[in-house]
Amino acid sequence: MEENAHSLGEVEKKTVNTVETDQKSRNNVRQLDPSSRNRREFLAASAAAAGTVLAGCSGSTSGILGGSSDDEAVTLGILEDRSGNFALNGTPKYNASMLAVEEFNEEGGILDKEIETFTPDPQSDNSRYQELTRQAIQRENVDALWAGYSSATRETIRPIVDRNEQLYFYTTQYEGGVCDQYTFCMGATARQQLGSVFPYMVEEFGSNVYTIAADYNFGQLSADWVRVLADETDANIMDEEFIPLSVTDFGSTINNIQETDPDFVMALLVGQNHTSFWNQRTSAGLDIPMGTSTVMAQGYQHQRLDPPAMADVYGGFNYMQEIPTDRNQSFRERYYEKFPDADYINEEAVNNYFSIKMYAEAAEAVGSTDQADIIEELESGVNVSAPEGDISLQGSIHHMTHNMRVFRCDEEHNITVEAQEMIPEQFLSETVGADLTEKDETTQYVPANFYEEANTTQ
Amino acid sequence: MNPFNLFFQFADSFAFIVLSAVGLAVIFGMMGVINLGHGEFIMIGAYGTTLVANAGAPLVAAMIVGVIVTAVFGFLVERTIVSGAAINWVAERTLGRSVIEPLYDRLLDSMVATWAIGLILTQGVRIVFGNSIPQLNTPLGSIQYGGFSYSVYRLVLSLVAVCVLVGLYAVFTHTKFGVRARATIQDPETARSLGVNTDEMYTTTFVIGSALAGLTGALYAPSLTVVPSMGTSFLVEAFVAVVVGGPSVLFGTTLSGGLLGAINALFTNLYGTFFGQIAMLLTAILVIRLLSNGLTGLVETVRDRKVGE
Amino acid sequence: MGPASAFDRARAPFEGPNTAGNTRGFWIGFLAVFAVLLIYPLLFGAYAASNAAQFLFSAILGLSLCFVWGYAGILSFGQVVFYGIAGYTFGLLSLNFGSALVTTLALPAAVAIATLGAFVLGYFMFYGEVRDVYVTILTLVVTLVLYTFMGQTAGSEWTIGSVALGGFNGMPAIPNLTLGVDESALRLSGATFYWFTLLSLAVIYLGLRALVNGRFGYTMVAVREDEDRTQMLGYDVRRVKLLVFVIGGALAGFAGVLYATWGNYINPDVFGITFASIPVVWVTVGGRRSLLGAIVATVAIEWFRQQLAVTGSQYAIVVVGALLLAVVLVLPEGVVPWMRARLRNRSEHPQSTDSTGVVE
Repeated sequence: MEENAHSLGEVEKKTVNTVETDQKSRNNVRQLDPSSRNRREFLAASAAAAGTVLAGCSGSTSGILGGSSDDEAVTLGILEDRSGNFALNGTPKYNASMLAVEEFNEEGGILDKEIETFTPDPQSDNSRYQELTRQAIQRENVDALWAGYSSATRETIRPIVDRNEQLYFYTTQYEGGVCDQYTFCMGATARQQLGSVFPYMVEEFGSNVYTIAADYNFGQLSADWVRVLADETDANIMDEEFIPLSVTDFGSTINNIQETDPDFVMALLVGQNHTSFWNQRTSAGLDIPMGTSTVMAQGYQHQRLDPPAMADVYGGFNYMQEIPTDRNQSFRERYYEKFPDADYINEEAVNNYFSIKMYAEAAEAVGSTDQADIIEELESGVNVSAPEGDISLQGSIHHMTHNMRVFRCDEEHNITVEAQEMIPEQFLSETVGADLTEKDETTQYVPANFYEEANTTQ
Repeated sequence: MNPFNLFFQFADSFAFIVLSAVGLAVIFGMMGVINLGHGEFIMIGAYGTTLVANAGAPLVAAMIVGVIVTAVFGFLVERTIVSGAAINWVAERTLGRSVIEPLYDRLLDSMVATWAIGLILTQGVRIVFGNSIPQLNTPLGSIQYGGFSYSVYRLVLSLVAVCVLVGLYAVFTHTKFGVRARATIQDPETARSLGVNTDEMYTTTFVIGSALAGLTGALYAPSLTVVPSMGTSFLVEAFVAVVVGGPSVLFGTTLSGGLLGAINALFTNLYGTFFGQIAMLLTAILVIRLLSNGLTGLVETVRDRKVGE
Repeated sequence: MGPASAFDRARAPFEGPNTAGNTRGFWIGFLAVFAVLLIYPLLFGAYAASNAAQFLFSAILGLSLCFVWGYAGILSFGQVVFYGIAGYTFGLLSLNFGSALVTTLALPAAVAIATLGAFVLGYFMFYGEVRDVYVTILTLVVTLVLYTFMGQTAGSEWTIGSVALGGFNGMPAIPNLTLGVDESALRLSGATFYWFTLLSLAVIYLGLRALVNGRFGYTMVAVREDEDRTQMLGYDVRRVKLLVFVIGGALAGFAGVLYATWGNYINPDVFGITFASIPVVWVTVGGRRSLLGAIVATVAIEWFRQQLAVTGSQYAIVVVGALLLAVVLVLPEGVVPWMRARLRNRSEHPQSTDSTGVVE
């Protein structure tokens, strides 16, 4: 991991060199011999002109014909999927961002400038994310960027974000460990989400656990965290099973759970195919309680599936739209007033909403949209009033201390809050000991390098 | 390893492979058209079923509607795009010439055209019905055995799969339509000269294939998640089964459903779902490589040898 | 013997019945377009250049499929396999060693590995008498196996050297394409990367033109038109197909390295079914028997798809699908051969519309 961080740093340095090389080669073009009188002369002349203009622009990435947008307004880049596989999750994120922007613009914008947005649809396609992120940063000159649902998307664009020193908010609940001086992770991490629901499950139902998890990064790391938490709560992981994202048939998984007969199941399933699990387990008569950090609050399965598919599912989340507080009620009303036909407000949508607010407050505090200044302001640790409650940013590690709740879904798919606790992100701050105000880095840490329990993958 | 578990998983896997593949197999085997939009046809059947059932209709009635909707949709696609007849009809009256060549036996073009249809369908359904619709519950409950249980509905599906295969076999061997359809595949020219309306045969075949895709969607609507992108989860099994099966489509689909289903169930049971998938795909690669005419080709060779003895 | 005849002599090896554009006018136009593309970064800046560069290396991927499909009749969904393998190999080598020299050598090494992969798969298929649509499906299945496999490599046991394969999250921080040793090495990004890609595309295009218009090209076309007859005439059809497939694999691998260095990143999406289908779409629209068509269609389609995505409209994908459908139905030979036939019709007799011959 150390090495990885090192090589990342090196790449950055190299990139800076490359930019210089570009500049040099452009200047070389200017020195072409202009004596031959043909078309080449014209080309050389125009190249020379271009070189001069470019040198004049000093560092601008646009050429003589490629104008860039004016900087009068504050421009936010919001890249959320409205088509493709992640449209279900991306659309509420887009909606909530638009709501936040609209609310600020009604109050006069940020720093008395109107907020403009750059909101293409990346169509759940990571290549498209790369293109659009570059466009947002280099052509639209966005002042801050919100982008992407999946971890794969975040990792796709993070090299571009880092190279351009772009302030970036990633708002999905995720596996944790991203320690990046330009990235602020607004979602709860696996340790926060599981740390809220897992001890609750052990206390309520017993200590024998069976884990099923999606067979990719997020699922595997979440299963690692379950093992770490089991160690901390003296629970016993009886077995764990990793399921490819393409699987739609859970017959064997259900049989395996029945054979093991645990006190409860940790179900860390992801995506549309895995949603079929809930119906299949209910129709197979598997009525063991299940804990999760990945369903209901993201894909609102409790509203889409017919009861009692999600009966006795317990989730640890920082937000579900059923939170019974006045503040949340008012937020819901504003949201559905603007988007009367919208589906469920997911956890990520709310993270987009409060982080735009947090950004605006930081910009007002420093009096400009200078990205370095805003990052410094955010790193000083700010508080924000979010629909989930009053929460705060852990400045040194760019993560949130969230107001985590344990939600229960009953037979009729009613949601109740069973427990509530402020949980900071501890992995980076305590276990890794990272501090982005002291040391600049762009790493992602994994639990396997810090916990023996996490390092026993199959 | 519990033998019941293994058997049920095999039945489940067999049903999924056969039902995924059968509509594709009929259209490919009879018309030489590869329908890359096959998964989206299944999705239409599932949407039809779910929407009608949500409106209050009984599940079986909703399924029938789902099948009919997909069949009608298949008819429209055949008339406008695959055969181009409808568009050409208009073009001949306005431009004075036809503009579309039929996609019959233009294997590769048909793949691109139907891929495009799939794109339009997925996004079109998303625009019209949103990212998700309320889902159905799986009916019929479960059976208990030992410490285990299995969904009765999933078992019923495997019976339905067998019935579909038997029914199709009967249609293609024991009805006038079946004889004409097979004549059309083997030699369209001669069939035409003997008075078979081959155009009509193609259309009917495409509609049957579409209806079968719709049936698959209808049957899985209460058991899988019905979303616009659900078609892709059928596509891999469908293609692999058709190709592994070989030229004799019905028999081939049965055989490949049996073989791949068994491999999938066994490896899933022994080593987990990832290995079940990989083993199935590797088996497909080996069969394609070793048996150039698929499983039915192998069976025919063995039979010919026996007859020769 | 003026400059005009020297020009004619220079273009001779690139001309023949297997490609469009065999006139002096075409080559003048070609050079003009090339010149405009050369100064494009100066006109529009580094961002536009780097954005355009991805269309150009996509065109190399398109060319690789056009070559194996259009000229030898092998429809492969597996071009992205070699594209992805080369991208991953480049990442593994350059990240493990980190020096400029290794990064420079990683380009040919990655292409070599991809070529080897194409050889193994091609040998397995063509010497096993796998034919026609079965080749298509087999390459698709191989693609899906890689997708499934790479997707589950998130764990720490999937680390090669010091670099993790990374599962669905992919392999980040792949260095830029580098030419040279130590401090003096040229690291390509922005405009320089664009120029490198543009020159590569031009060289590959001209090379393929020379190849398909030469003896080997005629053999390929013969194989495409009738394998059995070609076999009867004494050609080793299996070897021809293998060779074509290997060349196609190498080109796809080269494009894959450019892709991985362009975004400094690669993930298993390159093996996904969507990504595997896209090259088929490019080549079908452009005209699968036209190298130029593949390039034009790739650039046009990718540019168009990007513009639609920027609008944020939910109809973007529907429009793309409808357009493809229209092209396949109305212009089954593809856009560029259609335009060629039109131009020819205008200059020759209006009724000579036979464009279905062997030499299209």
